[in-house]
Amino acid sequence: MAESSLEQPLFEGYQPLEGTWDEYFEKPGTPREEAHKVVELLDALGSNDFRSRRKLADATFLRGGITFSVYSDRRGAERIFPFDLIPRVIAHDQWQRVEAGLKQRIRALNAFLTDVYGEQRILQEEIVPPDFVFSASGYIADMKGVRPPGGVYVHIAGIDLIQDPTGEFLVLEDNARTPSGVSYVLENRSVMKKVFPRVFAEAHVRSVEEYPLQLVEALASVGPAPDNEEGTAVLTPGPLNSAYFEHSFLARRMGVPLVEGRDLFVERDRVYARTTLGPRRIDVLYRRIDDPFLDPRAFRKDSLLGVPGLVGAYAKGNVALANAIGNGVADDKGIYPFVPDMIRFYLSEEPILGQVQTYVCAREEDRKYVVDHLDQLVVKAVNEAGGYGMLIGPQSSRRERADFRARIEGNPRNYIAQPRIELSTCPTWADKEVGPRRVDLRPYVLTGTQGTWVLPGGLTRVALVKGSYVVNSSQGGGSKDTWVLEKGNG
Amino acid sequence: MISRVAESCYWLNRYMERVEVLARILGVNVAFQLDVEIEDAERWRPLVIVVGQEADFLKRTKESLQDDPETVQDYLTWDEENPSSLYASLRTARDNARTIRETISLEMWETINDLWVFLNERRAQRLYRSDRQAFFLRIRNQCLLFHGMAQATMLHEDPLEFMRLGTAIERVGQTARLLDVKHHSIGPTREEKEESPVEIAQWLAILRFCSGVEPFLKRRTAAPSGKSVAEFLIFDPAFARSVTHNLDRSDNFLRLVRPPGESTIGEPSQTLLTEVRAQLASMTIETVLAEGLHETLTWIVESMAQVSASIHRDFFDVSGQVEQASHQA
Repeated sequence: MAESSLEQPLFEGYQPLEGTWDEYFEKPGTPREEAHKVVELLDALGSNDFRSRRKLADATFLRGGITFSVYSDRRGAERIFPFDLIPRVIAHDQWQRVEAGLKQRIRALNAFLTDVYGEQRILQEEIVPPDFVFSASGYIADMKGVRPPGGVYVHIAGIDLIQDPTGEFLVLEDNARTPSGVSYVLENRSVMKKVFPRVFAEAHVRSVEEYPLQLVEALASVGPAPDNEEGTAVLTPGPLNSAYFEHSFLARRMGVPLVEGRDLFVERDRVYARTTLGPRRIDVLYRRIDDPFLDPRAFRKDSLLGVPGLVGAYAKGNVALANAIGNGVADDKGIYPFVPDMIRFYLSEEPILGQVQTYVCAREEDRKYVVDHLDQLVVKAVNEAGGYGMLIGPQSSRRERADFRARIEGNPRNYIAQPRIELSTCPTWADKEVGPRRVDLRPYVLTGTQGTWVLPGGLTRVALVKGSYVVNSSQGGGSKDTWVLEKGNG
Repeated sequence: MISRVAESCYWLNRYMERVEVLARILGVNVAFQLDVEIEDAERWRPLVIVVGQEADFLKRTKESLQDDPETVQDYLTWDEENPSSLYASLRTARDNARTIRETISLEMWETINDLWVFLNERRAQRLYRSDRQAFFLRIRNQCLLFHGMAQATMLHEDPLEFMRLGTAIERVGQTARLLDVKHHSIGPTREEKEESPVEIAQWLAILRFCSGVEPFLKRRTAAPSGKSVAEFLIFDPAFARSVTHNLDRSDNFLRLVRPPGESTIGEPSQTLLTEVRAQLASMTIETVLAEGLHETLTWIVESMAQVSASIHRDFFDVSGQVEQASHQA
């Protein structure tokens, strides 16, 4: 009957891909242990009910103005970030290991930055080649000898993870500058609670609510006047920035002012906000402006977003910046292959999380292999993000490969290559039915002087286009809620 | 609070007030045409004049349509290039709100954004075509909800006081402009003149523009006439939209946003406002009518522009702060 076919269980006929880890199903019709409960609860809804809840979710995002800006057009200047209602589920014990691995990695990256802008032991011992560090575009030589307040460099990190065909989490990329997306984690969660109240209540999911509180505490802990939350602010490039919603969201949820560069000034190496009651000292800035635009006196002269003199105030220790200046050297794609050795060097530990095997084109041997195997590899420019400057060998044309061969040979330091990993898939609503779509995961890691805290889960990004490996929102990606289950629930 | 944010709070409420006034006067005028025989030219064009857009309207509208009720209503409601249209005012209000989302409450943001989403949907156009009074009523109620949300969900401190200051200042000017509608439609008001039924109807409409019919009746001083309505809207100390009441409120909110103690921040604005209040207090409705109602209303509107410019200098213009900091350090 027509009616019953509309009300079929959501996952009926779902086919996981060959040679790929599926987050929900071991094989067709057999859910994994951690996904069992969620499959049962969502199946019970049926696809008609599911459709109407999707509409409710979209309306909720629009109503809340949970949008990103599109520069070109005035009327529709804000879009909602596509959201898929089927959550990604992570078992409790698996997450424990990921969390430990993330904390370890952040400790090592912090130690690396302290060292690179300090004694440079790791360079002297040639564990990381010095020319790799000095040629990194994120390396800022002027920061040598400047110790950030509290000794923390990476206050907020976003470490991109993927799951390989065995289900093992691997680090794909580090983001130690200004990782974005956490506002979607919190908003996705609140929409899910609204749309699936019963499913949510029965699934026993770890909360993400604590993030803003943890963030404001981590920020306050590094202030030159410790725990002075009054002097903390979020610095945004302004409402035209594509991540403005997030800047505003975080300020609101932390209860601190959101400021633009023009709201601040520096006098005698101290930072002040222009307020209705006159100047007021600011001693911690969670800045969402990249290094080159931070201070026209120190970096790009044409920057209108920054604050003249801010870098001087920072160098004097009068203001803490989160994240610190010069972090780009730690998340450079050319430095990434050396992170496991950093962990061994600074912590005398073995890395808990694996990472993707990487060919460094600056090494002659690697480069030869890369140019001979372009059709099998993913090549990345070390200074690009957002899925740009990338060659996906198995899907490329002969012409694209020739173009990349020339680029690599022209500037080998600028390229790395990795085998294409079959990113794991998660069931995702596509047009009229549920199909497997590839996902990655960006967990968020906060560090203050009191230690390191990891947000349970993080932002799951999903390639909504069938067969696609690119999860970036600028290229057809969407997001999902990420459910880390409580102990005893998988 | 950050000066730029204070400025956005202030203007957010000024623009929300404009949206509400437009929804109210258009809604009243739609109903008003059923009551009395009055020429289209006298009924609709004055509304374009009170929002200060006559030149733009005449320039962009075919001559044969300049007194057409639909054309005027479309222009005042939807025209995106008319910066004073309801649609454009709400867009400006929402743009302001969007830059201070961390300051206003979530409920306030949702109230504004709901209205914005509604106006951009086809169902708004449908309601506008099918039941115009319901359309304007819905907008008006959403504006009132905004004020209620602000009172009930924000901390009662600087950001809210700057918003309320904006509302009060805007209301002084709006009420003065609305009182002047009669001047633009029928002509000057003089005490000795006997008024026609059309004039009386116009005064009642102006009271309705200001949601003032019942409050006026509670005063029971006189039948509606130019004199009694103008007296009520200018001098009544307790009516929510009277000039005097909103000058008092402006004075109060200005005190609240100034720093406690000896500081001179905001003093020029306070002094200026005190002068305006003193001058108005020295007038009576008789002296106003003798002087000319239109002239007095023009003086009120211009004085408020000066007060607003002074508030801008005192609180939002921050060019002098570097020097202040250097004294502190």
